[in-house]
Amino acid sequence: MEWLALVLFAVIFIALLIGFPVALTLAGTSLLFALIANAFGAFDMAFLHSIPSRIFSIMSNEILIAVPLFIFMGVMLEKSKIAENLLHTMDEVMRGIKGGLGIAVIIVGMLLAASTGIVGATVVTMGLLALPTMLKQGYCPRIASGTICASGTLGQIIPPSIVLILLGDVLSSSYQQAQLNQGIFSPEALSVGDLFIGALLPGMILVVLYMLYIFYKAMTRPDLIPNNIGEPVAPGLGKRVLKSLVPPLALILLVLGSILGGFATPTEAASLGALGALLLAMVNKKLSLETLNHVMRNTLQVTSMIFLIFIGAAFFALVFKGLGGDDLITELLTDLPGGIFTAMLIVMALLFILGFFLDFIEITYVVVPVVAPVLLMMGVDPIWLGIMIAINLQTAFLTPPFGFALFYLKGVASNLKTSDLYKGVMPFILIQLSVLVLIAIWPELVTWLPSLVYS
Amino acid sequence: MPLPDSSPPYSTHILAQFIRYQNHLQTQIGHIVAWASLILVGITALVVILRYGFDTGSIALQESIMYTHAILFMLGMAYTYQQDKHVRVDVFYAHYSSKQRAWVNLLGTLLMTLPTMAFIIWVGWDYVALSWKIGETSVESSGLAYLYLLKTLILIMAALLISQALSVAAQASLTLCAQPASLPEKDNDHLEGKL
Repeated sequence: MEWLALVLFAVIFIALLIGFPVALTLAGTSLLFALIANAFGAFDMAFLHSIPSRIFSIMSNEILIAVPLFIFMGVMLEKSKIAENLLHTMDEVMRGIKGGLGIAVIIVGMLLAASTGIVGATVVTMGLLALPTMLKQGYCPRIASGTICASGTLGQIIPPSIVLILLGDVLSSSYQQAQLNQGIFSPEALSVGDLFIGALLPGMILVVLYMLYIFYKAMTRPDLIPNNIGEPVAPGLGKRVLKSLVPPLALILLVLGSILGGFATPTEAASLGALGALLLAMVNKKLSLETLNHVMRNTLQVTSMIFLIFIGAAFFALVFKGLGGDDLITELLTDLPGGIFTAMLIVMALLFILGFFLDFIEITYVVVPVVAPVLLMMGVDPIWLGIMIAINLQTAFLTPPFGFALFYLKGVASNLKTSDLYKGVMPFILIQLSVLVLIAIWPELVTWLPSLVYS
Repeated sequence: MPLPDSSPPYSTHILAQFIRYQNHLQTQIGHIVAWASLILVGITALVVILRYGFDTGSIALQESIMYTHAILFMLGMAYTYQQDKHVRVDVFYAHYSSKQRAWVNLLGTLLMTLPTMAFIIWVGWDYVALSWKIGETSVESSGLAYLYLLKTLILIMAALLISQALSVAAQASLTLCAQPASLPEKDNDHLEGKL
C-alpha cells in the first residue's frame, strides 16, 4: 500500500493549485486522505495523535525564533531608508562606468542580503528607486527588471537568510535521523551556522557572475545598457559614501560577525540586528508609531503565515510516514543506477520543477524531510546538500510564472510588461544553474570554509 | 409591516453582523499581539547583552523568549487568515471571478480548515488537560512554571481559526447569494515584509 503515499503527494499538489491557503490545504488534504485510507484499513489514525506534541515542538523550537526577528529587522531596515541612501551613493560611485547603475543595484542587493535579506523589501525598494532611473538612462526593461529581481533574491542565499535557517532546522533533524538509522548513536550535529558559513563563497560567486554578466552586456550591447550618465557628481562624495555604508556594514558586522565568530546563535544575532535596525530608523527620524505598527503587524502576518505552514506540513509528514512513504522514497532513491549522482540529480530536478509552483517554505518542510535522510545516508555531505538545495530554492524565486521576486517587482512597477520580466530573468536563472553545476563538480566551494572554521 | 423589497432577508443580516463582529475581534487581537514582536526583539537582545556584557542570565528570562514567540504566531494565525495573508498558490486563483473565489473559500473552509482545527482540538484536548492536571512546569527548576498555559495556546489557536473560518464561509456564502458582502476590516497592504 506504499504507493498510496505517492497518491497523497499528487493529490496535495493538485489541491494546492486550486488556490486555497497552502497551510490549510496541506493539513486538510492530509487529514481527509488519512480518514479515507483509515476507513479502508490502509492507515492507522494513531499516527496523527502526535499532532499536539508536534505543534508544541514547533512552538518551543529555538532555531525558528530567528524567523520573526529577521523579518522584523528586514521590514524595519526598509523603513529606515538605508537602502535608498546606499543606492544613491553607489549610483554616484559608478558614474561613467559601463553598466554602472546595474552593478550598483547588485552591490546594494548584496549588502542588504548580508544584513538581513528579506527579498520582498529589497525588490520593492529597488523597483521603486532603481527601476525608473535605469529606464530613464535607457536600460532595456528586460535587463533592468532581471537585475533587480536577481539582486533581490541574493537575500535568500547570502547569510543570514531565512531559507538557510529553515533548511538548517530541517536538515539537522534529517542528519540525526540518517546517522541513527546507520547505527551511529553519538551523531554529529549540523547547525544553521554551518550552513551560513558554507553559503558565503557560493553567494559571492553568484554576485560576481551577476556583475560579469551586466558588464559583458554593457560592453557588447551598448544599445541595451548605456553608460552610467546622469547629473555630474556633487562634491563630498567620499563623505556620502561613508555615511551610507556605515549603517549596513555595522549591521553586517554585528549580525553576521557574531554568528560566524561563534559569539551568538542566529537567534541572538537576529535580535541584535532587529534592535540595530530600530535604532537606525530612530536616528534617521523615520520611526513613528505608525511605522512601528506597520512593522509589527507585517512581522506578525508573515510569521503566522510561515508557522501555520509548519503545522500543515506536520500533518502531511505524519500521514506520509503512516502510509509508508518514507520507506518507499528510500527504496526509490537508493536502487537507482548511478548511485548518489543520479539520486542527487533527480532530487535537484524535482526541487527545481516544484519551485515553479510552490514556494520555498512548502518545499523545505514537505519535500526536503522526505528526501534528505536518504541522501545523507548515502553519504552526501550535509552542508553541501543544504547549499545545493538553497541555491535551487533561491532560483525558484526567479522562475516564471510564480517566482515571488517577479510578483514583488510587478507589484510596484505595474507598467512593466510581464513578457519583459520573464525574459529578463532568464540569463540570471542560467547563472544560478551554472553555479549549481560548479558546486556539484567542486563541492569544496561549499565545504572549504566550514572546514577552515572548525579545524 | 412588510419589509421593503430591497432589504436583505433577516438571516443575511445576522450573517453580516457576525462577520463584522468576528473580523473586528480578530483585528483587535492581531493589533495587540503584534506588539509581541517588539517585545520578542527586546527580551532576546536583553538576554544577549546580559550574557556578554554582564556575564549573567536567567533561565526564566530565556524561557520567556519562547513564550513570547509562541504567543506571537499562535494568536496571530487567525488574524493573518482574516487579513488573507496566508499564502496561496495563485496560478489559477488570481484569474478567478469573485464567485469562483467564493466557492474555493467556502469549500476550503468546510473541507480543510474546519476539520483540521476540530481535529486539533479533539486530539489536543487530552494533551493539554494532562498538562493542566499535573500543573506542568519547565524542566529547569528556575524556569517558568506555566507550561500548561503555553500548551493551551494550541486549543486557543484552533478555536480562533474556527471562528475565522466560519466568518470566511459566511462571507463566501453571501457573495454566492449575490448579496453585497460587507467588506472585512483590512490593514494596509504592503509588499516589503514578504520573504
